Amino acid sequence: MIEAATFHVMTTELVVGSFALAGFCFVLHSFFTFQNQESQFIKMMDTTAHVALLFGLLALPFAILSGLESTSSGAHTSPLLANKMLLSTAGGGLALGVLFTRWRMGDDTSSRHLHNAFGSISTGCMLLTASLGGTYSRADSLTEFLPFVKENTLLLPAWMSIIVILLIFGALIVRQTSAVKHG
Amino acid sequence: MRSKLVLLVVVSLLIPFHASGNPGGVGNGLEDMQCGGACHGDANQNATSNLQLSLQTAGTVWVGQPAEVTVQISGFDSSHDIDQIGIFLLSSTNANGDIPTTDGWDILSDGMGGSNNYVEYSSIESTTLTHSWILRADEIGDKTLYVSVHHGDNSGSDSGRPFFGVSQAFSITIEPIPENLQRINPDYKPPTSREVGESTELCVQTTAASSVVIEWREPSGSSSQLITTQNGDCWKAILPTATTTSTIEWRAILDGEGPQQTTPWFSMTSVEPTWEADETALLLQSIAHLVLFFGVVILVRKPKRKEDEFKNYLEESI
Repeated sequence: MIEAATFHVMTTELVVGSFALAGFCFVLHSFFTFQNQESQFIKMMDTTAHVALLFGLLALPFAILSGLESTSSGAHTSPLLANKMLLSTAGGGLALGVLFTRWRMGDDTSSRHLHNAFGSISTGCMLLTASLGGTYSRADSLTEFLPFVKENTLLLPAWMSIIVILLIFGALIVRQTSAVKHG
Repeated sequence: MRSKLVLLVVVSLLIPFHASGNPGGVGNGLEDMQCGGACHGDANQNATSNLQLSLQTAGTVWVGQPAEVTVQISGFDSSHDIDQIGIFLLSSTNANGDIPTTDGWDILSDGMGGSNNYVEYSSIESTTLTHSWILRADEIGDKTLYVSVHHGDNSGSDSGRPFFGVSQAFSITIEPIPENLQRINPDYKPPTSREVGESTELCVQTTAASSVVIEWREPSGSSSQLITTQNGDCWKAILPTATTTSTIEWRAILDGEGPQQTTPWFSMTSVEPTWEADETALLLQSIAHLVLFFGVVILVRKPKRKEDEFKNYLEESI
């Protein structure tokens, strides 16, 4: 039987690799769009970024769950692990939003760069999460210059998290009904 | 454009990264000797450490009784630039299954607030490093122990490579304990760590002891005696509270029918209270993050109205 820690390493490799490719393609997509609207690479980068993002997002739940399983004490016992959890869900939310908007709203040229920015920030969140993993397991990573993410966590009380969730759902419902009425 | 892209990818792949194996250490733990090679990725990359390694025990090693094993590592001098070193106490050099606990030893204290066979020093301040473990053997006879080190070295021709060294075998004879000799109970495990601000009540379980004195000290400082009270086989004493992260040492002096017996100095480390958050709040905040960032991406986009779709259709038809 494979250990949770080993499985976590495998799944995080998948997540990090996919997200890194997606982020790279999002940046190049914006770059090529700035340079030449007719460039053949625009379509290629756009497709690659979204497919890689989707693949990374599919692997993400396995990485999070195996990560939680592989710690003996749980994410709530270390600010570093808590930040890993919060960053990975933030990156996951951004990636989900990017894929959802592309699926439901198509490629809107007016917000193309904003879309790419969200995709790139999502990648940033994932890479920072992975880097914190390096700090946790090897006491060394590329983000040693960010000491606050190892020692501090911005924790909300439970009631505030519930309000945030309800507010966002409320805003999404209002927006949906508003769009239907105007149509 | 394509050639530029290919060039960029090729150059990115060719740029050599400065890679070093676990420069921040891996932390104290129960580690096989295999870690001395494999933790650095490829054991063939290892350079041989020229540090001198020795091991000795203090006095007779009785079966079932705590025994101090002291390791001495010498040879740190100006020709070395070592800022971190890992020390292994091993029962064999098989590279796996060689933790002393697999060979009939109990590790009662690693001198750093744990019960590990592998400890790390983050800095070396003199030419010789001395470290002690408290072990307990569970059977009479001869046993073998080794000491091993791994470290980096930023000087010399092998600069930057992982260094590894292992000592010769040191034979230790475990002798039967004389009948009626006052002793620590063979099942007694001394505490090795506590939180800052907590006092510690020791309950030293003994056999055939008529009186027990507990002494404590700061490492290598002068010792103080504690008052003990007997409760059955348990001799109780309270170690003073630590006000900051620190290590103190304590030992028991046992009187009885036989000659006075003194245990090794047991180390006890005081650490900062562990950080702990509300697990439910953290879980809810994670869900809130997922929903919040998903919602933000959607909400900042201009909604695509049905009117626009109709307009597009008309434009395409015309």
